[in-house]
Amino acid sequence: MAKIAIDPLTRIEGHLRIEAQIEGGKVVDAWSSSTMWRGIELIVKNRDPREVWALLSRI
Amino acid sequence: MQDESLFSDLSKRGISRRNFLTFCSTMAATLGLQSTVVPQIAEALEKKQKPYVVWLEFQDCAGDSESILRSTKPTIAQLVLDVISLEYHETIMAPSGKNAEKSLNDVVKNHKGKYIAIVEGSIPMKDGGVYCCIGGKTAIDMAKEVCGNALATIAVGSCASYGGVAAAAPNPTGAVSVKQAVPNATVINLPGCPMNSENLTATVVHYLTFGALPQCDKEGRPLFAYGKRIHDNCERRTHFDAGQFVRKWGDDGHRKGWCLYEMGCKGPQSYMNCPTIRWNEGTSWPVMAGHGCIACGQPQSWDALGSMYTRLPNVPGSGYQTTADKIGLGVAAAAAAGVAVHAAIRSSKSKSEDKK
Repeated sequence: MAKIAIDPLTRIEGHLRIEAQIEGGKVVDAWSSSTMWRGIELIVKNRDPREVWALLSRI
Repeated sequence: MQDESLFSDLSKRGISRRNFLTFCSTMAATLGLQSTVVPQIAEALEKKQKPYVVWLEFQDCAGDSESILRSTKPTIAQLVLDVISLEYHETIMAPSGKNAEKSLNDVVKNHKGKYIAIVEGSIPMKDGGVYCCIGGKTAIDMAKEVCGNALATIAVGSCASYGGVAAAAPNPTGAVSVKQAVPNATVINLPGCPMNSENLTATVVHYLTFGALPQCDKEGRPLFAYGKRIHDNCERRTHFDAGQFVRKWGDDGHRKGWCLYEMGCKGPQSYMNCPTIRWNEGTSWPVMAGHGCIACGQPQSWDALGSMYTRLPNVPGSGYQTTADKIGLGVAAAAAAGVAVHAAIRSSKSKSEDKK
């Protein structure tokens, strides 16, 4: 039984970590984690709705 | 440093000598230098070896990477950035995981103090930096190691330069700029959302030619790109001076390309070279496309200048012509009044210029 982790996962936009549990040469379980958070949901709260497009397009 | 010089790569890629020199002239112009330095730039690019570059992404949207990569045709500028020895860039590199980390560690270890670090995205400081981790390391630890040991760090985009989007109120993750996170690093800021790839190219060319980073303002921004106010170089400026404003999206003035100041344009508070170099290979820029400037290259632009569509208060000089027109309605008085108003405009203009 082995566990592998791939971090950083490249050629994607953003930061991603993949962990996989391997038994007998097969992946039996896997986890993905987004390893970056900015809280844009909290940033757009109470803002002028007309400018929210500009913030959210920079996700 | 790599063995091959830049030009040997360009000639292999079918870039003619003539095109290469045209590119050198464009770079000189972008940097605000006289044409006499063109041979110096050309010589440096031909002879100097390619610098090692690592590109780190922290709290980013890859917008600055896109700004570099998304070009409709390969330009020489793109090639210049292509042929620097880009050893690490998460979004475009082939290796993943441990092999990716190795590429980065090798440069930091083997070329300490000689490589250029480019950083895209802000660095979260809150809660021990847990809001951005790469390969199990926090962004703050990575930045300290990579930027702290670099010859110089180029912060690309407003997030790396000022904190940007992530640092907009209430800044949930305690996001800061590269310079704030690693105060001892040599950092040059190329803000903008995204930064303009022409400015990154010009900064790299300046470094290769003169062996030094370009002169900067107090915000750490190179003067060649951020020394002039958008409002002063705007193609709609004459409409501002004439009091011809867009009052509603799609109105007659909007269709005629009048000034967007009343619609919330932040050009009067923004320092960047968008009106002169434009975007997408000089095709257009936001104001040309019909939307006001959002001051994306200014510190804390999401909070500091009010809502995007709220008019900036009291920009000196607005509506001169409106007054002139009102006075000019009286036919007999028109000529004399016109001259008087013109004189008043001249005097108030020079006053406002004196204040700067």
